[in-house]
Amino acid sequence: MTQQELADLAGVTRQTIHSIERGRYNPSVGLALRLAEIFGVPVEALFELDREGGPDE
Amino acid sequence: MSERSMRRLRFPPASVVSMILVAAGILLWMFVSRGLLIVAGLGAFGPGILREAGVLRDQDEFQREASYRAGYHAYLVGGLSALLVLSAIEWGGGAVDESAEWLRLVVVVLWLTWLSSTLLRYWGSRTTAARVLTAFGAFWAVFVVATLIGDWSAAGSRADVMQDLLGTAVGVGVVVPFFGLAWSARRWPRATGLALVSVSLGFLAVFGRRRGLAWSTSALTDVMLIGPVLTSGLALLLDRDGEAGDVDGA
Repeated sequence: MTQQELADLAGVTRQTIHSIERGRYNPSVGLALRLAEIFGVPVEALFELDREGGPDE
Repeated sequence: MSERSMRRLRFPPASVVSMILVAAGILLWMFVSRGLLIVAGLGAFGPGILREAGVLRDQDEFQREASYRAGYHAYLVGGLSALLVLSAIEWGGGAVDESAEWLRLVVVVLWLTWLSSTLLRYWGSRTTAARVLTAFGAFWAVFVVATLIGDWSAAGSRADVMQDLLGTAVGVGVVVPFFGLAWSARRWPRATGLALVSVSLGFLAVFGRRRGLAWSTSALTDVMLIGPVLTSGLALLLDRDGEAGDVDGA
């Protein structure tokens, strides 16, 4: 799946997906859940807590 | 057009209209009537007001976050600028002019800070710097081409032609570095940032305070012409992203 296809399914821009992948942006709980739903995995499979910083990809 | 399809566009319609209104407003202000600066105001603040009113829904959560965060930065820098201007006027004892130009300066600082911060957050420093430099290069290219067309069409003698050739060379010399630096910003951010900061500070030192111009006019010109380039340079020097492949509009 391309970034653009994922962005279309999630209802955000490709830049937002790109920034989440690179750890530049932490998505809202709603968007994180939507991404997990698209991939058919639990949200913890996509995101994990960064113990030194905030929640991260 | 649906919200989703608007988000797929590289340059969303609201951003394009906003930029056109800002450019048109500045030109109308310069060449037609001072009161028409309101057109630039509509471009700068109109889309944000429509979004807050819920009429325009063209941004996703990352774009909104970038915009709100930039609003705080604009509050800090704009507020500080306003206080510095007030202090300068009150301590200046008449040496510093009291003109409407200062108010324009504060508005420009406020808007440029918001715009720079939004773009840096959303695109990252390399893409933002590359696009700012490309925009500046395009602006100067239009200016240089328009001037050269006028000069060449009026050229008569050999001396005129030589002078126009020199003017063309200078014009190319001004425009090409912007595109070259836009290209290098993505590949060598530190070196490009250093070059931008050095050139900006050098330009400020040599031309920053123009004789014959009021302090306010000088400051406004410096902020508009050098501010975005200096900001891009500083952002590149502090670059930590290593981002690539950014495409969407803010």
